Amino acid sequence: MNLGELVRVALMSVKGSKMRSLLTTLGIMIGIAAVISVVAIGQGGRAALNTEMEKFGTNVFVVYLDGEVRLGDMKMVDLQVIKAAVPEVKNLAPVRDLNAKVRGPRGEIDMNIEGTTYEMAAIRNIELRTGRFLNEEDQASSRRVIVLDEDSARSLFGNANPVGEQVSMAGNTAMVVGVTRKNQSQFGDNAKTGYIPISFTSGIEGDEIFFMMWGGATQKDKVDEAMNGTIKVLERRHQAPKHYKGESMEGQMRQINEVTSIISLIISSIAGISLLVGGIGVMNIMLVSVTERTREIGIRMALGARRRDILVQFLVEAIVLCLMGGILGTMIGYGGAFLVAHYAKWPPLVSWGTIGLAFGFATAIGLVFGVYPANRAARLDPIEALRRD
Amino acid sequence: MIRLENLCKQYITGTIQVAALQGVSFQVVEGEFVAIMGASGSGKSTLMNLLGLLDSPDQGSYCLDGIQTADLGESERARVRNEKIGFVFQAFNLLPRLTALENVELPMVYAGVRAVERHKRAWDALERLGLEERARHRPNELSGGQNQRVAIARALVNKPALLLADEPTGALDTRTSEEIIEVFQELNNQGATIVLVTHEPEIAGCTRRILRISDGCLVADEPVPNPRKASSSQPELERQAVNQ
Repeated sequence: MNLGELVRVALMSVKGSKMRSLLTTLGIMIGIAAVISVVAIGQGGRAALNTEMEKFGTNVFVVYLDGEVRLGDMKMVDLQVIKAAVPEVKNLAPVRDLNAKVRGPRGEIDMNIEGTTYEMAAIRNIELRTGRFLNEEDQASSRRVIVLDEDSARSLFGNANPVGEQVSMAGNTAMVVGVTRKNQSQFGDNAKTGYIPISFTSGIEGDEIFFMMWGGATQKDKVDEAMNGTIKVLERRHQAPKHYKGESMEGQMRQINEVTSIISLIISSIAGISLLVGGIGVMNIMLVSVTERTREIGIRMALGARRRDILVQFLVEAIVLCLMGGILGTMIGYGGAFLVAHYAKWPPLVSWGTIGLAFGFATAIGLVFGVYPANRAARLDPIEALRRD
Repeated sequence: MIRLENLCKQYITGTIQVAALQGVSFQVVEGEFVAIMGASGSGKSTLMNLLGLLDSPDQGSYCLDGIQTADLGESERARVRNEKIGFVFQAFNLLPRLTALENVELPMVYAGVRAVERHKRAWDALERLGLEERARHRPNELSGGQNQRVAIARALVNKPALLLADEPTGALDTRTSEEIIEVFQELNNQGATIVLVTHEPEIAGCTRRILRISDGCLVADEPVPNPRKASSSQPELERQAVNQ
């Protein structure tokens, strides 16, 4: 019998007991659906994460003070030294976070004000809607200027162009020089964030102090070197080992990936158990089928079927049963993945590799769990088999 | 065609050894129509299984159409069954899920005949037995006589050297039995070699030679001088009923 013939016979037998076949394949279906959705959601999630990170800047790292904070643990002059000493560091900017009430002609809002330098624009991929970002002159002359985000600018000025206008905050006034474009990234949300020169903050809150710096590495894979180099220089200059800590986007990504792969592993093992149980179910029903069709086996043998023909027939039937579970499971799995991707706004990733994997799995299960019943069928004595009802 | 020499077969049921055949020898030449008769337990079923290569003897030799069957392995025996032997059983033994046509095609499936030719030959065989109208029906939609004729078509379709019929009329009423025997006589007239097992003297009387088996031994081998010609009482009426 050729393969087409075998598959036809197998399909006929599956069709002969529809409900039973469907219930039998349920385990395989659930297992395959779980595998497919886990892989698809995992790949989609990772891709989504990557694009988010890229929007924000994948080369980004942060160095901050750990433990007891003393004044002067980070100084503006450190930035120059670090940039000169660590070639992997491309940009380095101090960050001093302030919360302030900011008042404009249209109202007053609470804003997060970052005292920083012009280099921050390059580090965080900040784009401007109008005007300009901070520049070197602002820093050098401690100019009283501010760059607002889109939302805040609208709250403070309505639809009027705010560039050149004044806002007041914490008893000072500052001139708006630019408005940043809204950042779509879920990580780099810059809503209600204003940037002022860090030299200006000393006018608001005393000394030019900061406890955190943001950096950009020359390349994505140089982030760790850039960050560690920065920490090392700071430790040496301030004689303070283990006083500085760093985090990078890459590191965060690694952590997230680690977590997601653990979750994937857990779901995959559940899927594995389901496939195992499903396989045992298939084996069970195939054994029942062999018993029910003992006479058929006897007839086929009398008509000239070799033991191998009978073995292959039942093996193909087990595989067909599993593949049907695989097909249904793939559809359900992708349905689930699309649903999750839709709500999480991820790209749904449909890869042929995953489908191949699922079908490979289903075939393998059919083979493994079909061998025993098929072998039992093939080893029947034709005389005994023909006598059976 | 068939040569048996000193064929022996024992079965072990529990601790008791049952000698089913104790040295049976005979020959059947091409074109013969032989009945094997015997009471139940006489060993005729065992003999049938050995002739059909479904079982192998403990001793003795069996030569079928020039093939020494003792030398054959498991799959070669399957091939010889497929090519040389056509089985007709008491219980028809058709596959219930297949149509008459598909049932007749089955031996050719294992012979590796291609689908188109298989289809044609199965169709021809059914036509030969007057069943072309019922080709698309399943066994449960056919009468006993029709089912047995489908089974005969299946047995003939690979052009076997030997037709082995095991109580082919055992499940049929008298009139249908006559009809089936008529088919066998017709086939024999066309040259088919037939070995038929039966315990009914009227059926055996339609063959040309009777072998009697008792307690595992061949006790008589006699020709039938004037074989009775089987005739179903109203064959024409039955045909018409089928076709309607």
